[in-house]
Amino acid sequence: MYSTSSQFDGNAAFSGGGFMPSQTTQSHDPSFVPSKNRDAQSLLPLTVKQIHDAYQSSDDKANLIVDGVDVNNVTLVGKVCNKVGRITDVTFVLDDGTGRIECNKWLQEAADTNVAEGILDGMYARLHGHLKGFQGKRTLNVFSFRPVTDFNEIANHFIECIYVHLYNSRMRVSASVPNQQHVMNSTPITPTKGYQAQAVPPSNQFSGHQINGQKSVEDMVLDVLHFPANRARIEGVPRDLIAQNLGISLDKLMVAIKNLIEEGVIYEAIADHYKSTVDG
Amino acid sequence: MDTSNPAVFVNGHLIPNFIGKKVRAVVQVNQCDGGVATAKSSDDCQLTIKGLPEVPLLNYIEVIGIAESSNSISAEVWTDFGNTFDTNSYNQLCQLANGEFKSLFL
Repeated sequence: MYSTSSQFDGNAAFSGGGFMPSQTTQSHDPSFVPSKNRDAQSLLPLTVKQIHDAYQSSDDKANLIVDGVDVNNVTLVGKVCNKVGRITDVTFVLDDGTGRIECNKWLQEAADTNVAEGILDGMYARLHGHLKGFQGKRTLNVFSFRPVTDFNEIANHFIECIYVHLYNSRMRVSASVPNQQHVMNSTPITPTKGYQAQAVPPSNQFSGHQINGQKSVEDMVLDVLHFPANRARIEGVPRDLIAQNLGISLDKLMVAIKNLIEEGVIYEAIADHYKSTVDG
Repeated sequence: MDTSNPAVFVNGHLIPNFIGKKVRAVVQVNQCDGGVATAKSSDDCQLTIKGLPEVPLLNYIEVIGIAESSNSISAEVWTDFGNTFDTNSYNQLCQLANGEFKSLFL
């Protein structure tokens, strides 16, 4: 009883604002959960057929998943038909050639009314919207309606649908085969996103380089500074000793030391003597 | 939502697979008299398009209609795509939409 009334008060307090009402209409929506990563909120280019198939195959009617990705916002391109304009909203059917989907656009501002007047049966349009299920029907809640003026956009959209399908179904899967969390921590430029892997064509060479990179000169310098005997040196470790330990030239060592100092991992205790900051 | 009556992306070579079914093709109209037009498909096949009104010659026109035979379409709806349209990309899309990625379209 208490919680019901407090919830009611909250709604009453915020209603009437320009922004809050659209939030309250989505209050049953999973996107209301505050911490969702950006990947999950991305705008997916889809065909109506993909939405239809995903809807048919899923048991969970609240969340739609296409190629393993949660579907929230989608972008579609197709022909408008059966437009019905009302004072509060416009409904129409979008036919993208693979299927038809019911759409509605709520009219909240004067600019929306202008957009609504520009929606005509037979025209091609690019929509951005949010998929909603209501009374067993899946409709697209449109928040951007833009008439297509360059018709190459139609071919472009469907090619993009193919690309995103391929990216999500293959590249994401192959990237997640090694423990993704681990990979992300140890090497910052791992192919968790497929196109980044493509940017570095000889991938074997690339990963080999990364393994060496893990034991970079910087890491080896830190190892030396962390030797118990060296930790005990209050004045720090002389650079000649570090170079001697590692068997590398002073020039090479100084590059690594400069990097480590810039990162705040080590510091120069007295002239040409270095200490790790973790030693205090 | 309804996916029972799709319009398949086709070029000239793909039409024979869809005779009696709804297709969509972008064609360049060469000649148009009395509702029957001769046009070139995105893969340079000669097609006959029926039920097309006067359209600007040499413009790229998208027709959606029923494939009547391997080289004719009876148009239900048409859209003028203008005179700058990339038929090569469209043609490749036709092939992808009927090949490896058919499941996204049909």
